[in-house]
Amino acid sequence: MNIIGPDLLVFGVDDVAACTQYVTDYGLIAKGGGRFEALDGTGLQILSKDDPSLPTELETSASLRKTVYGVADQKTLDAIDVELCKDRTVKHLDDGSLEAVDDLGFTLGFQVSVRTLLSLPSEVINAPGSPAQRGINNVGVQKEASPMPRSLSHVVYFVPDFAKAEAFYRDRLGFVTTDRFIGVGPFMRPAGTDDHHTLFFIQTPPHMQGLEHFTFHMGGPTEVMQAGTNMVNKGYQSFWGPGRHLFGSNWFWYFKSPFGCNMEYDADMDLHDANWVARDAPPGADNSQAFLLEHREKWAPMGPPPGKGPPAGKGPPAGKGPPAGKGPPADKEPPADKEPPAGKPKS
Amino acid sequence: MTNTVSLCNLSELPRNGALGFDPFNEGRDTVFVVDTIHGPVAYRDLCPHYGSTSLPWRKNAYLNSAADKIICAAHGAEFQINTGVCVSGPCVGQSLTPVPIKIAEDGFILASIHQ
Ligand code: FES
Repeated sequence: MNIIGPDLLVFGVDDVAACTQYVTDYGLIAKGGGRFEALDGTGLQILSKDDPSLPTELETSASLRKTVYGVADQKTLDAIDVELCKDRTVKHLDDGSLEAVDDLGFTLGFQVSVRTLLSLPSEVINAPGSPAQRGINNVGVQKEASPMPRSLSHVVYFVPDFAKAEAFYRDRLGFVTTDRFIGVGPFMRPAGTDDHHTLFFIQTPPHMQGLEHFTFHMGGPTEVMQAGTNMVNKGYQSFWGPGRHLFGSNWFWYFKSPFGCNMEYDADMDLHDANWVARDAPPGADNSQAFLLEHREKWAPMGPPPGKGPPAGKGPPAGKGPPAGKGPPADKEPPADKEPPAGKPKS
Repeated sequence: MTNTVSLCNLSELPRNGALGFDPFNEGRDTVFVVDTIHGPVAYRDLCPHYGSTSLPWRKNAYLNSAADKIICAAHGAEFQINTGVCVSGPCVGQSLTPVPIKIAEDGFILASIHQ
């Protein structure tokens, strides 16, 4: 079944104003009616949790109310209709999309995908031994940048039964498992994309069912770093990252959000086809990331400016010996939004 | 060892709001105080779900929009303000760690924090 990936996440939230500000700062483009889009037209819809147009919430009152998948064409939509009609109600909505509930209770939508094909360069690098990617006189980075999310990448659900979830998405919707955390859940991609995953499940007790995080693809690792730095500078609090995952190889940076779930920026995910053999690994910090960095307020290893050094005879002259002030100045403590989230049991 | 630290004056605490504090200069807030009609209550800024993450998505964003629950922004846990007990979300039944406080005569909130 030619499902491409998530087109739209529909949320019913406690604080619409806070969520609206948050996704605007995150870099999505406001489209009216609570819609916010990435560059390719995929995105989020933010409604108040009491909005009557929302599908019923899960018993856990998670803020994610619907995941709308984009499919290649009407033929695929018809095939999904026929398949899901076998054992559940499939609603035909006025906009031509389908709505049904999966085996776990998540409301799904299906529509001919709204995403546009982007034509944008990815981040390019130069390295000895390889032909230059960026070329002569092209500067790699700007001091200030506001990178924009390109495309809705993936969602991660907390589920009470990952085997049941995996079976539904595999057997009924044609998703493929690309890798697996043993006892936790599979990473899955639908047939219409090469991305390592658009979906990952984390096994939890039933009262936790909901959305662990959602993620948009950025243009490269530098964009993840700069977009995340912009979030930190606006006062948002990091949850995990920046770092680089092992399964999927994507760079990541997670932030807490007023949606009551985490939000991630990612970049440079692995691509796979039918020849790929899924790997298994035990969950945990060691297998979740190749490395984990942590944000720190800007700082440079340099001593005081010339003429402002310690009085003669009380320290090495400027420019000699180890730089004075190897830490941030006392009035430049790192911001209060830092945290050391080591060893999250997640992707 | 238990330290007694002065967090702020009662008058600085927003009515029905919350404030986070970094009493030991660790570079992040580790304690927060919520104003209630029965007086202020204080907890460690650590969510019992993962045990190692702080609660808010933005500095001082400890409460829901109705200001009647403490929330963890990571996965939406909701806690009773007066008891710190999680009533909804991943860590239902578990509790925030209370921080004993008393109010000095000059109105300053003094917290006894175990380090
Ligand atoms: S870490 Fe607080 S709800 Fe998960």
